Amino acid sequence: MNLCFTLPDEVAGLIKPLRKGKPLLYCVPYDLDDDGGMCTDGWIAVTEDTLFILKGGAIKHQAELSRFDQILCTPQVDSGVLAARREGEDTYLCRFSMRHIIRISYVARGASLFCQGEHRLVESREREKICPRCGRVLPGTSLCPRCSGGRGRTFRRFWDLCSRYTLPLLTLTVIMAVMSGISVFQQYVQRRFIDEVLVPAEGTLADVGAFFGITLVLVLVSLGLWITNALWSNSLGTRISRDLRARTFYKINGLSMSFINSRQSGELMNRVVEDASRVREFMEQAFAEMFSQIFIMFGALIAMFVMNWKLALLGLAFAPVGMVMVRLFRKYEHRLWRQRWRMEDKVNDRLQDVISGIRVVKSFGQEERESARFKEYTDRLMKITRRNEVFWATLYAAVTLFLTSGTLLVIYFGGGDVLRGQMTPGELVQFLAYTNMLYGPLQFVSRLPRMLMRLNTALERIYDILDEDEQLAEADGAVDKELEGQVTFDNVTFGYKSYEPVLDHISLTVRPGEMIGLVGPSGAGKSTFINLLMRLYEVDDGEIRVDGVPLPQLSQGCLHRQSGVVLQETFLFSGTVFDNIRFARPDAPAREVIQAAKMANAHEFITKLPDGYDTYVGERGYTLSGGERQRVAIARAILHNPRLLILDEATSSLDTETEYQIQEALGRLTHGRTTFAIAHRLSTLREADRIVVIDKHRIAEVGTHNELMRKKGIYYGLVMAQLEMHKVRGA
Amino acid sequence: MTEQRNPMRDRPDTEPDILQQEKKAVEELIAIRTITAENTAFFRTEGGFVRMEYTNPDGEVRTYPRISVHRCFPFSDPTHFISIREPEADGREIGLVEDLNDLPAEMRAMLEEQMALRYFTPKIQKVHSVKEEYGYAYWDVTTDRGACRFTVRMAGGGNVYAIGPNRYLVNDIDGNRFEIPDLYKLSAKEIKMLDLFI
Repeated sequence: MNLCFTLPDEVAGLIKPLRKGKPLLYCVPYDLDDDGGMCTDGWIAVTEDTLFILKGGAIKHQAELSRFDQILCTPQVDSGVLAARREGEDTYLCRFSMRHIIRISYVARGASLFCQGEHRLVESREREKICPRCGRVLPGTSLCPRCSGGRGRTFRRFWDLCSRYTLPLLTLTVIMAVMSGISVFQQYVQRRFIDEVLVPAEGTLADVGAFFGITLVLVLVSLGLWITNALWSNSLGTRISRDLRARTFYKINGLSMSFINSRQSGELMNRVVEDASRVREFMEQAFAEMFSQIFIMFGALIAMFVMNWKLALLGLAFAPVGMVMVRLFRKYEHRLWRQRWRMEDKVNDRLQDVISGIRVVKSFGQEERESARFKEYTDRLMKITRRNEVFWATLYAAVTLFLTSGTLLVIYFGGGDVLRGQMTPGELVQFLAYTNMLYGPLQFVSRLPRMLMRLNTALERIYDILDEDEQLAEADGAVDKELEGQVTFDNVTFGYKSYEPVLDHISLTVRPGEMIGLVGPSGAGKSTFINLLMRLYEVDDGEIRVDGVPLPQLSQGCLHRQSGVVLQETFLFSGTVFDNIRFARPDAPAREVIQAAKMANAHEFITKLPDGYDTYVGERGYTLSGGERQRVAIARAILHNPRLLILDEATSSLDTETEYQIQEALGRLTHGRTTFAIAHRLSTLREADRIVVIDKHRIAEVGTHNELMRKKGIYYGLVMAQLEMHKVRGA
Repeated sequence: MTEQRNPMRDRPDTEPDILQQEKKAVEELIAIRTITAENTAFFRTEGGFVRMEYTNPDGEVRTYPRISVHRCFPFSDPTHFISIREPEADGREIGLVEDLNDLPAEMRAMLEEQMALRYFTPKIQKVHSVKEEYGYAYWDVTTDRGACRFTVRMAGGGNVYAIGPNRYLVNDIDGNRFEIPDLYKLSAKEIKMLDLFI
């Protein structure tokens, strides 16, 4: 993200004498005046010693940075305020909307470094949201949809999907061409039959037999081709949608947590499942027909014009009206589809919401209300769907009417021609047949925009995901090695929103094999610490190194293969207990699995289950209690045998006795490997080599249990409070 | 309990102390402290913020160099239940103003200034155009804060949502929010432009 814009000339001239030849290191716009009105002429400019606030061609503030302790970018409601702090007292500098808050928060961070006499530039790894060339939104990618492609994009994407199947596609096209050729030829045979056998009444039964034979062969051949065509396009559609689904799913797995958090899960599910189905539908229905219809149309058209161009023109007279109508309504159609899908998404989301929260709904007796709300949603969906269908039925009927009026004209004028002897009856029949053959494809073509629209919208939604750059991409030549387990946090700053730091300048070096206890009030950033170490998010500033290698240069596989995580909320996948324990090492032998389960104190309860290790757990399976799930997860981590072990409230759902047993097991597990353990129950951490207290986004205290107890700081307070609580409860 | 030596036993005097502190902290957390003209004084600072002196029920006077003023019900009741807080992200509530109108005009003005600084949700008064391209809708509107163009992501929906009957909020891609106070005060043409969202 650009943190150093070029000032407009008149403003640049204004501060030139004041900055005494020192270059502007940060320069960003801001967009609100002091009363909260929108403006476009605000600038924040920073040199190594001065911060300027410029507004409307004048200098509003000029702050000598060494006089201040800190420059603060404070998020407000849908906006932010920049202030300078000196000895606890703040001075207001300017305000701005969310459009600029990310940039300004980085500038504030950078300017604060100068306040503290540290001459280091911060840079933003965040991506620009707007294409600098055309001002359109970049949909989470580095390429602008307009500047990098434009209109043909959807179809290029479509081709991109199909290109793996060129051979089947080519074969399909040939089959369809042959089929259309046969349909055109059939009419020719019919004409000869009428003109040479029926009308003169000279033909013999043998002639009739011959025509019968020819027609039968033609019918059988085209039937065979039709079946092949249907089967092939079906399998092609299914394969392409499978590819899409797999790619979308793979991509979702690879995307950053921040992207996933920014989308509702029902929505992501919908895209993998429904949108991919829509692409398949298109392939099956439209694609199968599309080419054959177009071939038939051209075949029939050519034949008609060759036979009698005047009559051909008459037959087509009304077709343009129908086509124009279809075009006119295209935009409206698009809207209708969008509305319907939006509503479908909403219904799905609502459903998911209520079903996942069903316990809360039931225990507060709100079933009725929720049902009513859901009904309201489905009612709205019904209304939208019905309105769309009515629209389609009407438009379709009107278009059909216009298209078929041509036939009437052909009957009238063609009939006259036959009576005047300018045309044989057979020719008229053949001609009429072609006219009718034309309407099928014409109607199809008029439906085509609708199908393409559906395809387009579905592809748009899928590519919204596929085009998203993987933010956490590995550096080229990422290192993959055996880890020793040294972990360094070097001045790490991170916030889920970059203007709200959750961790602020965290520095910590952990020796291989050391066990670190992370302690602090909830919301202090303990879990964030872990998320960063697991590289689920990218740090905003600073660096995390494992064995001296910065995380982005370490291959993700390497990191995740050699680290084990036990979380408070343990997620078990649908599958057997056995599979769940073997999740990270699917080839582990049963003996080792049992050993791990024993160490995690899970073997006992598992063998008591009727199906033992084969017990099916997960969404629709046997329900394990929270403590049981945690023990399975611990067994999973033990079996995984990682170099880096992360325990995030790993034993919180266990009773004290079980916890003690597991502590023993974990003691063995943590021995010799780098361990980070978060716990509210501080007794869990007595094995820790060092305790790190995180408070107010920073490391407040570090030391061994004894050191911290002697220090009588935050940790001491926490320990004492817990002892008291236990005592009170025990008494 | 076993006769094991316990760190607590060494310092019997600290036991009630800590517990007492915890209890007090909890009490403080759950008590509603009402801010009135009697127990509070506000001062404008040179820096453009508000300093506060507050006398708590025990008669202790505390000074806060800068306060943050939050509405409890920014949409449904903007003049009641105003929470006066320490400005840091994890700052605590100092006290609550139940009704802004109960405060003397000067105090009230200071709070209103600070709230004006905090809240920025422009109200859409006129919709000039909504243009859709590549999955994003580009809005061109006039708000009570001036003319504005912003961009809303189409896919997925949920970026325009109701917060009351005919009252909507619009999220743009930057995280700004725009309010449509009453949909039916817009013209039919404008409503039609918003069709896709509502």
